[in-house]
Amino acid sequence: MLPESVMSFLSKAAKDNRTSLPDANSSLFLAGVLDSFSLVDFVSVIENECGIKVSDSDLRPENFDTINKVETYIQRSAVHQ
Amino acid sequence: MSCYITSVGAALPERIVTNAEIARILEVTPGWIEANSGIKERRWVSPDQAASNLAVKAMQDSLSSAGLSSDQIDYLIGCTLSPDYQMPGVAPIVQHKLAGCRSIPAVDIRSGCVGILYSFQLARSLVESGAAKLVGCFGTEAQSKGLNLSHNSAELSMLFGDGAGAMLVTNDIELSRKSGCCLRVDDILIGTDGSFAEDLAIKSPGTANGANWLDTEAIAAGKHFGSMNGRNVILQAVRKMSEAAIEIAERNNVALERIDLVIPHQANANLLKALCKKLSLPEDRVVINLDLFGNTSSAAAFLALWQAVRDERLKSGMTVMILAFGSGFTWGAALCKCI
Repeated sequence: MLPESVMSFLSKAAKDNRTSLPDANSSLFLAGVLDSFSLVDFVSVIENECGIKVSDSDLRPENFDTINKVETYIQRSAVHQ
Repeated sequence: MSCYITSVGAALPERIVTNAEIARILEVTPGWIEANSGIKERRWVSPDQAASNLAVKAMQDSLSSAGLSSDQIDYLIGCTLSPDYQMPGVAPIVQHKLAGCRSIPAVDIRSGCVGILYSFQLARSLVESGAAKLVGCFGTEAQSKGLNLSHNSAELSMLFGDGAGAMLVTNDIELSRKSGCCLRVDDILIGTDGSFAEDLAIKSPGTANGANWLDTEAIAAGKHFGSMNGRNVILQAVRKMSEAAIEIAERNNVALERIDLVIPHQANANLLKALCKKLSLPEDRVVINLDLFGNTSSAAAFLALWQAVRDERLKSGMTVMILAFGSGFTWGAALCKCI
């Protein structure tokens, strides 16, 4: 499960964009929840709330495309950091 | 020894291309363009104008502002991604067209939107080493001639405009004081991560394209047009520019809140807003003219500097930061003091 603060960022983004959160394996971009600019904020929220630093090589949109990918990324990063 | 930017100049094509005009071509709406970029209009060259024509005018403007003549320039540095020819570079052509310019070194820098920082760094080394007293630097683009104007490329092609900016760099503070624009360049920081090279590129003509650097297959695939992974560019641009700003401020013992004016590459207004948010920087401290000129790539930061001078936003004692990010990826910052 994603931390509540990360999920609430996504829920607010979905509400602001008049859409709803997709299922955990569907694209947050295609659902209209995230765009290029809100992704910048989303990564900041993940870093601040989860206490991780997304490395330059991992800072790619595809790592944050679905809720499951974000969850996997956070778990993997927590182990390595 | 210190190095100073002693004057700036600009040249812009007469033709104004509004969002309404380009929106019809790209099959989008003017409102969509403005909402996604902050751009309202841009300038495009006429068919008979090349990047060198704009550069010569910008150089002449900078010389005129300083009361100097072209024969006083010791070194010419040109930045462009839309040169007159594949070979030679644009700088030798500008050296030839700039009446009175001596047979000085003339070199191209192909670092796109970060060209201004690379030219700063080279110019600074030249004047500080004594190899040159006055260096002419310019950024110029006639990139409208290479835009893909199909709907599928709207996100990229809506951004770009043509124009040129120039500056004169010297170690002579007296010369700088007379010119009305005097920025001392205190530090420059530049970084590169070539693993992102393909995220923002024009791949053809190029020798990585098989047997020929340009053939019908490459043209059919649109490799001669620009391509961009927009999400990745924005993610990396905000991170790299903010990190560069923090690092250069820290190593010069300047608190970020003491930066009086930021002169950034003019990529996209939304990107600049994200950068301000990341750095907790008030937006009124950032020079923005992309609403009128679009993203002019190599020329953009030069034109933003020119805008700051033109609008009399540079005041004695101010600390000024120049920030840029571009294809490569390459990025950086320069810290300057207004004398």
